[in-house]
Amino acid sequence: MADARTHTVTPRWWAASVGRSVAFVWRSLRSMRTALVLLLLVGLGAVAGSLVPQVGVADARIAATFRDHPLRARIFDQLGLFDVYGSWWFTLLYTLLLVSLVACIVPRTRAFVRNALAKPAPARDLGAMRHYAEVVVPVPPERAISGARRALRRRLFRVRAPGDGRALAADKGLAREGGSLLFHWAILLLLAGVAWGKGTGFSGQAVIVEGETWTEAHASYDGQIREGRYFGEHHSGVQVRVDDFEASYRMTGQPRDFVTRATLFDQDGRLLDRVEIRVNHPAEAEGVRFYQFGYGWAPVIRVEREGEAIFDGPVVCEQRDVPDGVSPLQVPWRCVVKLASLRPQVGIAFELWPDSRGLLSLLETGQVMPMIVAYAPVMTWEAYEGDLRAELVQSASTLDTTAMRRIGSGVLGAGETADLGRGITVSFLELRRYTVLTVARDRGMRIVLLAAILMLIGLLPALSSTRRKVWVSAEPDGAGAVLKVGGFALQRGSRFEEEFARLVRDLERAAAGVGP
Amino acid sequence: MSGGAAARISTDAFTVAFVAYLVAVLAAFHHLAFRRRSAWTLSIALTGAGALAHLVSVVARGIAAGRIPLGNMYEYSLALSLLVVLAYLGLVEWRAGVRTVGGFVLAFVLLTLAVAALFLHVGPAPLVPALNSYWRQVHVGSMIVSSALLALGGILTILYLVKEAGERRRAARLRPIAGAGVDLGTVPELQLDGGTVTEASVPRRGILPPAEVLDRLAHRTIAFAFPIWTFGIITGAIWAERAWGRYWGWDPKETWSFVTWVIFAGYLHARATAGWSGRRAAVIALVGFVSLLVTYYAVNLWIVGLHSYAT
Ligand code: HEM
Repeated sequence: MADARTHTVTPRWWAASVGRSVAFVWRSLRSMRTALVLLLLVGLGAVAGSLVPQVGVADARIAATFRDHPLRARIFDQLGLFDVYGSWWFTLLYTLLLVSLVACIVPRTRAFVRNALAKPAPARDLGAMRHYAEVVVPVPPERAISGARRALRRRLFRVRAPGDGRALAADKGLAREGGSLLFHWAILLLLAGVAWGKGTGFSGQAVIVEGETWTEAHASYDGQIREGRYFGEHHSGVQVRVDDFEASYRMTGQPRDFVTRATLFDQDGRLLDRVEIRVNHPAEAEGVRFYQFGYGWAPVIRVEREGEAIFDGPVVCEQRDVPDGVSPLQVPWRCVVKLASLRPQVGIAFELWPDSRGLLSLLETGQVMPMIVAYAPVMTWEAYEGDLRAELVQSASTLDTTAMRRIGSGVLGAGETADLGRGITVSFLELRRYTVLTVARDRGMRIVLLAAILMLIGLLPALSSTRRKVWVSAEPDGAGAVLKVGGFALQRGSRFEEEFARLVRDLERAAAGVGP
Repeated sequence: MSGGAAARISTDAFTVAFVAYLVAVLAAFHHLAFRRRSAWTLSIALTGAGALAHLVSVVARGIAAGRIPLGNMYEYSLALSLLVVLAYLGLVEWRAGVRTVGGFVLAFVLLTLAVAALFLHVGPAPLVPALNSYWRQVHVGSMIVSSALLALGGILTILYLVKEAGERRRAARLRPIAGAGVDLGTVPELQLDGGTVTEASVPRRGILPPAEVLDRLAHRTIAFAFPIWTFGIITGAIWAERAWGRYWGWDPKETWSFVTWVIFAGYLHARATAGWSGRRAAVIALVGFVSLLVTYYAVNLWIVGLHSYAT
């Protein structure tokens, strides 16, 4: 670029080139072919997401991939394949599709509005139309035309009578393009609703023991929560008191129903509602919804030292690593009490059999049986002392015994007390259930539903109606008139043939003042 | 009626329907090859009788289970194949008057029924709570109706592709002789015989209906199915919200129904895209058909997800 002349034109050359590139990209995005390719690519990306385990859906399988095929896992990870729907390339794809969508429907909408406002244009040569007919009617041209006009109106044509009252231009089927546009705009609305709802909402899980009250606040979720990017910590403070949880089963062990009966209070403790939360029947309070998700057992345990309670309350028991093909009902529940204030620290691991016949059956016959109700529940316990290593992040229901020494074990029925030595006793006071609720707020849901309904409303005429145009003119013929009818359909021309024939018959009768 | 009796009636009616369809397929292909009207009449009569027995099987199954019989893969397959038969009779035979594709449609139905009986059969039983929802019935119902229509569209698309290839070959053969611009639909089948052109002794119009007819029929069927599929996805999302607290979670079943939806949306676009209508659009529809089968079978049977307890 040593040439001074080039120097002076460079900025404009550059600007023009950018302008041309932008125009090119815009034109490409507007093209139907680009839309088609992008649509298919989004489909392909979604397929990848269904074949590779996804974050949040199949975390265990992702961990297994990292363990068994570290190289493959790393490559997948780099490509975002474990989180397809949040990956940069999927985002890019659907963003391009959205831009393309806007680029398509803005000019289409403008053209549609122009078209809808304009009345049908008159035609010059009716005889050159794909469909054409002439009929003779025994009334003067003006009367024939006004009859034809009524007939076309009755058939929901838009009609325009240009000039001298001896011709008509009519069309029908604007709903096709209108519906199509409504459908495409509604896609945008739907995505806006999804983004708004997810961005400002949250979804988490609450574990609540019967008789206890849980407050809807960030800390109550024990980390089991996902909050949207624009959520801003606006939890409702709603309080949920679980009065009772009930799980009913059929004789076969197949679940029949799960019900959480709860009382809801607002953050100031005022009664809001009494609700029954069951699968498929969530409860709602202050925009937050509560869904039945799961349940479990929570024995109430009291630990005393020298007659003074150092732990007293329900303990949430869990089932982990239930083998494939085994009903969770047949598997005992595990929970842990950690006494971190003692020196040395003490931990007690429990295995709960809510129905003691399950344990008996296993011991006597080696057979497992489903434990559906609480029936003389028993717990086996193992106590350890040493260091709980509480500084490490660990699950509340597992005991890390690497730095501990076993000091005893035994069996404990409901209402019984066991002596651990060192002046410590542990009592199993009663057995309660806990419920697991999914708690979520999604303010975009109504918008999404509305958009989905609009999509459907648009889709029906877009796919079923056809655009048709018809012209009529009348010329005097003796005492009567010759009615000339021409027309065509932009879609499904072959079916229009029959409709056109019927229409001509109709027009003939209407023009002559006979019939409807 | 006791549940046991109803269950037995259901399986017996299944057998009757299967045999009726089997003979109907033979009659339909006989008609295809030899164009005897009586063979066509027989195939239609047997198809109708089979559909009646099929319906009895579905209803009896519902009575045996004490609920709407749309609770597992076996029941889906039963309902789906019945709807394919009804859609074929209504749309293809009655409405469009196309008489020569019944054998292929019924072969697909037989295959579906055989897979259902051999691999998917389970006894009638009530549903687990998550499946026990009004929205679920609406969702499953619309998915089955639209799947049946899309499957029919898929079969017609395959036939279209076969026929279209045949017509293109024929055009290529005729072009040197007849020259371009000839409406091949009106030209009888010609044979090149030692360099001279002779009309074949029996002018045949080809076994299948003209490609254009098949194309139009496939498109109408798919365009009819698409909004119903859309409705099915929407109601599925509503049910998912009620049952799991989120309306969309990229669960494999959700993902694949979305993929199928996107592919058929691509098909509808392709038909309006210059240079893509016809064969290319049909290939997209075919991919959609495969995606439908994956959504229907593979996801339930092999890919795990929240929906998997629906099997
Ligand atoms: C977000 C993804 C899109 C989806 C799911 C989608 C879906 C559909 C569907 C189902 C139809 C058939 C029903 C109808 O006629 O309205 C259709 C038609 C149409 N779409 Fe889209 N579309 C998308 C994006 C686009 C884009 C980006 C363009 C721009 C080129 C576009 C242009 C059209 C046109 C022109 C029609 C009318 C075709 C006809 O006349 O039959 N669409 N679209």
